[in-house]
Amino acid sequence: MSTVFDAADVQGNILRGYRKPRVRYLILEVADRMAARRWFAASTTGRDDVPQITTGNWGRTKPETCFNIGLTYEGLRALGTPGSSLATFPNEFIEGMNARALKLGDVGPSAPETWPDPFGDPRRIHLIATIYADEVAQLDQVQQRALTDGEAFKLLGALEGCSFPKDAVHFGYRDNIMQPRFAEVHDGQRYEDGQPKAPLGTVLLGHPTNFEGLRWRVPQPEALGHNGTFNAFRVLEQDVVGFEEYLDQAASDLLTRPQIDELLPPGAEEKIGQALSIEGLSRHAALREVVAAHLCGRWRDGTPMALSPDAPDPKVDQANFDYVGNSRCPFGAHIRRCNPRGGQIVQRVANNSRRLVRRGMPYGPLYDPAKPRDPTKPEPERGLLGNFIGASLGAQFEAMSCDWLNLGLQDPRITGSNDPITGANDPGTSWFDLPLKSGTTIRLRGLPRFVRTRGGAYAFMPSIPAIRFLGSLMA
Amino acid sequence: MPSDESWLDRFVSGLPETRVFQRLASWLLVPYWAWRTPVKPLPGGPHPSIQPGDNIQCMMNLIMPLKDKSPIGRAKAALAIAQNKDAIYAGLDNVGTVHFARFVIVGDNICMFSVYDGDFTNYIRDFIATIGGVFNAVVKLVEGGDAVTPCEHNVEAFIQWVHERDLYQVPDTATDLLRDQEALNGDKASFGHDDLRLLPRKVVLQLRANANVSLGSGYRAYPGFSAAQVRNQLGIGW
Ligand code: HEM
Repeated sequence: MSTVFDAADVQGNILRGYRKPRVRYLILEVADRMAARRWFAASTTGRDDVPQITTGNWGRTKPETCFNIGLTYEGLRALGTPGSSLATFPNEFIEGMNARALKLGDVGPSAPETWPDPFGDPRRIHLIATIYADEVAQLDQVQQRALTDGEAFKLLGALEGCSFPKDAVHFGYRDNIMQPRFAEVHDGQRYEDGQPKAPLGTVLLGHPTNFEGLRWRVPQPEALGHNGTFNAFRVLEQDVVGFEEYLDQAASDLLTRPQIDELLPPGAEEKIGQALSIEGLSRHAALREVVAAHLCGRWRDGTPMALSPDAPDPKVDQANFDYVGNSRCPFGAHIRRCNPRGGQIVQRVANNSRRLVRRGMPYGPLYDPAKPRDPTKPEPERGLLGNFIGASLGAQFEAMSCDWLNLGLQDPRITGSNDPITGANDPGTSWFDLPLKSGTTIRLRGLPRFVRTRGGAYAFMPSIPAIRFLGSLMA
Repeated sequence: MPSDESWLDRFVSGLPETRVFQRLASWLLVPYWAWRTPVKPLPGGPHPSIQPGDNIQCMMNLIMPLKDKSPIGRAKAALAIAQNKDAIYAGLDNVGTVHFARFVIVGDNICMFSVYDGDFTNYIRDFIATIGGVFNAVVKLVEGGDAVTPCEHNVEAFIQWVHERDLYQVPDTATDLLRDQEALNGDKASFGHDDLRLLPRKVVLQLRANANVSLGSGYRAYPGFSAAQVRNQLGIGW
């Protein structure tokens, strides 16, 4: 096992994000094994006009376009990876995302059987190639080069995302604030967050993990597995209208509650209005923001509830906070469920061990609440093209999805409830508690499912030497 | 359905419940059926569910044949547990999702029964991370255990190994067994087409493939709560 770590051996979107405004995913099927192998071999150098894979060491200037790949289990098979090697991959990857639906909460309207093509037939999805760029024309150009030989792959589908100003995502929150930070990687975008640095094994196979003394199995041979990682690629449709309607409904409901003045003291709406630069913000409108902040654990501008529970505050640190003591961040808030930081949780060994690298971008048009909607017309589809990256899908993405997002096992006060933003909620049974200063709570009910899974795949993101290895497979 | 199967059905239905027949059945007829209709062992553990209430207080029932099938072997197993008692308590406390764990020796098997909350793989993984040494001490006395110890360096294989030894939980509704068989065979076409007359035979064949099973998934006297909910409610810290 090599000990010296070189970022140039690793694909570029893993340890640091590119922060490019546009992304396109090409969903590909291997059409000709030999041609595909040639393509793989060429992709590490950019030979034969095949786009060159961007590595983790892009030097001083970021390339104009970035290009990365992930392979499904079927993809590894299609390339002719030997059976003895395939058997060393983890079960969840071998089975594939569709087969893990129950663990991921992909049931009912999110069930894989409802996913549109190309995700309806997962056996044909072999390769997910990702292009990042500033302009659509650049995406087109790289796509054309990627498919230029016309033999290696069949294009099953393409998905395109585009970032919004100020890192906003649908539902109106600021995203992309937190990521694990690695001692070995200098990333000017990441600030001190009061959390322990993540060991490389959080996200790269063959390195120490966050579980002391535990290592994940590196798929064999070493040349294929070492420095690789796994990605849960998810197409998550967001019901923005439903979300805004729920905020309306919850705000109206709260106005009738006796403890409302504890949640929003008289006059506090002004402070919230100031922070949002809205004059004369009504109590109802302020409560909508209060609810939104509780559901996520951050006000929509990114201010953490843990530091500023009463109003958004641009002066507050967005990254460096914790959930110790009597934090007013709800136990069930999205960011607290996904990363409990130093807060008390049931699984004491898991505070840091389930962390994920997230590379996501919205798709679909930005929703403008000010614009009147035509209720006779269907809303355009919008959502998040999410990549949840970690060295173990089972120990990170799946563990988070089943026990934390959709069971609330980490804290007895939320057990039996789902994540308010991305959980598999059913309005008949769902609930969410807003903590009050006095230590009591107000319970909201009737949360519908705001996020519906529309597709996805588990992909292995091989290291650069591993891509070369796959390109050199014989027989 | 092939016609020879219906004569078999008629033949079987017509046979009296005599002792001779029962002997004959278990020695000849069942192996013959099994040969005609191969049945794969069904996987162990609780049935996957999205209902939060189904995912707490789940049962694990491990039956692990000891390598050393003698009183000495059994004594070694008894000692391994006794010596690790403190580590087991510490582990239960830190993992936080286990209600109780029991170790039982039956014949030449060491059995580990536990009631845990949430996902099985998370439970075993967290245990490996907390008290992997205890698992190693027990599993190294068990047939096939050497291949997956030390568990800290064989996490995925160890979890799989344990899963393979966890007993199949026979559903309370008999036809759900057919659903499990269909799911195992990736067979969706026959969904809902149950020939109930075949059910006993299918159960017999399945219990031939899964010799040890759990009947049902445990019956509770009260609705399910997580271990932490119980501790929180009792005010003993979680
Ligand atoms: C469309 C669905 C989703 C939306 C709109 C969403 C939105 C957000 C927002 C606004 C944040 C706060 C920004 C930040 O801290 O960087 C966040 C953080 C986070 N989300 Fe999500 N999310 C979604 C789905 C998911 C899923 C499915 C997972 C995991 C399986 C997840 C894991 C995380 C994690 C790990 C964090 C960082 C928490 C921290 O370190 O403090 N998210 N998400």
